[in-house]
This record gives sequence, C-alpha cells and structure tokens, in this order.
Amino acid sequence: MEVWVLFGTFVFLLLIGTPVAFCLGVASFATVLYLGLPPVVVFQQLNSGVSVFALMAIPFFIFAGELMVRGDIARRLVALAGAMVGHMRGGLGQVNITASVLFGGISGSAAADATAIGGLMIPQMKEKGYSVEYGVNVTVVSSIIALMLPPSHNMIIYSISAGGRLSIADLFTAGIIPGLLLAVSLMVTAWFVARKAGYPTESFPGWAMLGAIFFNAIPGILLIVIIFGGVRSGIFTASESSCIAAVYALLVTTLAYRTMNWTSFVEATKAAVRTTAMVLLVIGCAASFGWLLAFLRIPAELVELMKAVSDNPIIILLMINLVLLMLGTFMDMSPLIVITTPIFLPVATAFGVDPVHFGVILVLNLGIGLCTPPVGTVLFVGCAVGRISVWDAIRTIWPFYGAAVFTLLLVTYIPSLSLWLPSLFH
Amino acid sequence: MKSVAWALRHVARLSLWLAAAGLIMMTVFITAQVVARYIFNDSLVWSEPAAVILMGWFIFLGAAVGIREGYHLSFDVLLYFLPEKAKLWLYSISDLVVLGFGTGMLWFGSQLALSAWDVRLPSLGISGAFDFLPIVGGGVLVILFSLERLARRAAGMPTARFGETDPLED
Repeated sequence: MEVWVLFGTFVFLLLIGTPVAFCLGVASFATVLYLGLPPVVVFQQLNSGVSVFALMAIPFFIFAGELMVRGDIARRLVALAGAMVGHMRGGLGQVNITASVLFGGISGSAAADATAIGGLMIPQMKEKGYSVEYGVNVTVVSSIIALMLPPSHNMIIYSISAGGRLSIADLFTAGIIPGLLLAVSLMVTAWFVARKAGYPTESFPGWAMLGAIFFNAIPGILLIVIIFGGVRSGIFTASESSCIAAVYALLVTTLAYRTMNWTSFVEATKAAVRTTAMVLLVIGCAASFGWLLAFLRIPAELVELMKAVSDNPIIILLMINLVLLMLGTFMDMSPLIVITTPIFLPVATAFGVDPVHFGVILVLNLGIGLCTPPVGTVLFVGCAVGRISVWDAIRTIWPFYGAAVFTLLLVTYIPSLSLWLPSLFH
Repeated sequence: MKSVAWALRHVARLSLWLAAAGLIMMTVFITAQVVARYIFNDSLVWSEPAAVILMGWFIFLGAAVGIREGYHLSFDVLLYFLPEKAKLWLYSISDLVVLGFGTGMLWFGSQLALSAWDVRLPSLGISGAFDFLPIVGGGVLVILFSLERLARRAAGMPTARFGETDPLED
C-alpha cells in the first residue's frame, strides 16, 4: 500500500503537470505521513540532498559551458572540425558530428551542444544545399556524444544517485570509448544518408590552414586536458576541476579571445543559475524519494521479481534497457537518472553488471530519450534552431536513431568497451 | 493585482541576482581553495562548507524564481488532450501542491534550523542554523510565487507555463 501512495501520488502529480521536483517531494511527503513517520525527515533529506560537495561540479560545468558558448570557444571548435573532416562524404554532417565530439569534451550538456553546434551548423548546411531535416537530425542525435564524454555532469548525477561511492574519474573514463563509438556509427550513417541524397563535400583547406585553425582552437582543447587530466590524476576533485574549468573559460574568453563582455557574462551566469537550480532541486527532492524507496525495500523486491522472470543477465539487461527507453521518451534525463538508479542499479549488480558499466548504459540510453518525442529536450532545441516541426524532424531521423540504439546494444553487451579504459588506470 | 505582480517581479529579479552572486562567490571560494593548496601549500578549512551553504541558497532561490518564470521540468503530454478550462483547473491544483510543499519547507525548515541553533559548525564557527536557512528562505519565496500564480489565474492574467519559453512581462 505504501508503495501505491508513493508512486500513485508521483504519477498523478506528474500527469497534471506539476514540476517533477515537486512531484517527487510531495509524493515522499504523502508517503511519510501515511507511514506515520515524522514529516520533518522529508525536508531533512532534501536539505542534505543538496548539501553535497560533489554536486558542486554540476553548476560549475554548466557555468563553464555557458561561458564557452557565449565566448566563441564553440565556434572555433566547429571551425576545427570543418577543416578536419569537411572533405569526407556528407561533409557538413561529418563536421557536425566531429564538432559534437570536440565540444562534448568541454561541455557535457546535450542541450548546450545542440544549441551551440546546431546554431552554427544548421544555417551553413541549409546554405550549401543540405536539407534542414538532415541538419537537425545529425545535430540532435550527435549531441548524445556530449553526454558520454567527460566532463559529463550526468555521470556525476549518476555517481551521486548510486550512493556517491562510484569514482567519478572511472565513470568519466568509461564513457570515452562508447562516446567515440557512437560518433563513428553516426558518421557512417551520415555517410550513407548523404550518399543517397547526393550531398556535396567541402574541399580540404590544406595542412597549413588546418594548422592555423587548430592553433586558434587550442585554448578550447586545453580545457579538455585540464578537466580530464585533473580529475584522472587526482590533482583536483571533480568539483574543483569544474570550478577551474569555469575560471579558465572566463579567462580565455575575456583575455585571449576578448569575446566576453559584461552583458554576456551576466546572461551566462543567470542562465547557469536557472538550469542548475532546476536540476539540483530535482536531485534534492529525489533524495527523500530514494530514501523511501530503500526504506520500503522496493529495489530488493524488484530484484526478486526479475529473478523469477529470468536468470539470464542478457534478458534482464534487455528488459531494463527497454523500460528505460520507454521512460526516456516521456521524461527528461536528470530526473530519470535520480529516480531509476536506486531502482535498477541493485538489479543490475545482482546480475553481475559492474556499476560503472551500468552508468554508461544508463546515460547512453536516457540520452537517446532526449532525442525522442513526445518529450525530448534536445529534439525540441534542434527543431527550434532549424525552425522545423518535430514531425518533420522525426520523419527522416530513423537511421540515426538506429545507429544510436545499435551503439547502445554494443555498449550493453560488451562490458569491456566501458571497463577496459578505466582498468588501465588501476 | 498589477502592483503586486510588479513588486513580485522585482523580488524575483533580486533573488536571481543574489543566486547569481552566490554562484560567482562559490567559484571564488573553490578557486581560492585550489590556489591555496598548490601555490601556498596551505589548506583552507572554511571554503568547502561555505561554498556548500552558498550552493543551498543558490539552489533554493533559483528554484523559487523558476516557479514564477516557469522553467522547471514537467510533463505536459496529457495536458495537450484536455480542454482549456480543465487545464486551468489542473494548473491550479498543481500550484496548490507546490504551495503546500513551500509551506512545508518554511515550517519544517524552521524546525530544523531551531534545533540546530546551538550547534556550532566546526570549520566556520557559526550556528548550525545557517545550514537550514536556505530551505526556509526558499520556502518563503515558493509560497509567494505560487500564491501569485493562483491570484494571476483568478484575475485572468497569464502565468508562465512550465516548459513554455515566452518570458512573463507585466
């Protein structure tokens, strides 16, 4: 019965359009009242849920990303990607994907990636005779790459939702090969789609020009080194490295590029405050929700239930993936990570899946959910940038969904894709 | 009603500025911590707990403003199929629920703050009540902004919808 109060209140409030954070908080409150526990515990959990030092990486990475988008770092990375792969079949589509890899290495937010790269690439693609749908499709699906590569704040949310014991450095490292694999499978797809549609290629600018463009982009690339190197080597904690990233982005854009003025700085700060307050309130409210899930022993019961269905980890992982993909079409990523991690992680580990590996599966899976209607933030951003309807976008997006799901299956069933790289550091 | 909306718009603007200042101060504190450790070989004991308290302020202030500006994540699919009138009723139920939770933040947050009054935070030397003040302050703003949403709807004025992006001008 308590379970019904918890999930019933949550689903009811969700359906009438209450913000997700409050759905979680109020559902926990109702359940605590039903159980006769002191209600103050909900707010205690909320407060301790947001007072975690490791969470600080989220506002800092988002802040750094806002500064980079407004301060021209993104444009220089796109130029670099253009010089590198523009001469391949599907030219600007390949550029778009490669730019997502470079930008993903500094930002980690799929929505920021779609805004920044879509904003730069889609008009260019339109001008060169590509269909807008192709531009939007490539932009939207390739932004999942940003979620996989460090610094992905969704990996940090996962690590915290998993009880805070998982190493963020390991999660960051584990996402690299799957992220690059996704990039390759998207590039192959873009190549086929472009060949069928007869899209042009760009001319190779020559090595001297490539060198010059690379030189221009070095400050952005150095950021990748600072963040990843800092966290991996243990010089900084993830929170400290994210803070250094924000300061560095500010210094580069004001002193080296001179593209940041007071107005853009204020806008970047406010945008970062809005996004992070929203994400972190969800995480705080999910703390009491997750506490109740554990209190009611729901994950343990689910493990028993799943064991009754099958004892084959291949089938269990397939089931978890299907459920997550389905949930992902309806809900946003960060609330889903905080809600589903305490439920599915115990199931996955009971069937012998490594928690780091499961994190990579979860982030990639829910990343696909960001690109699917009816609720897909990144799809909406891409359509808004390209000024086409969601319907127009999804009519031609299927090959790219296919490539992403194919990568998801590879990542799910070949654990070493995720676990080999981190193991080198141990 | 117009003048109340005008006043609350300024409250929201001020809260957002304070939250932004909090983010910048957090950045300064943590940078100071790294600089102190690697350049002066000295560890700051206050920077992490102070930044965590600032983060609490910045989350709860920013989240409360989010109610007024309607930028919280929510789920709209079912609402597409409902007539306008039913939607407005559901929005009001939603706002009442948020109002209730805000009241809880204020009431239970104050209880937590009072119970921690005599505790001294080890590295900062201030009362433990400071840990819980953000949730109390956030609660007050959540109450104000959700009451405003209800009043605006009753007066036939627009409320920013969660998920919609047009800014609220009044």
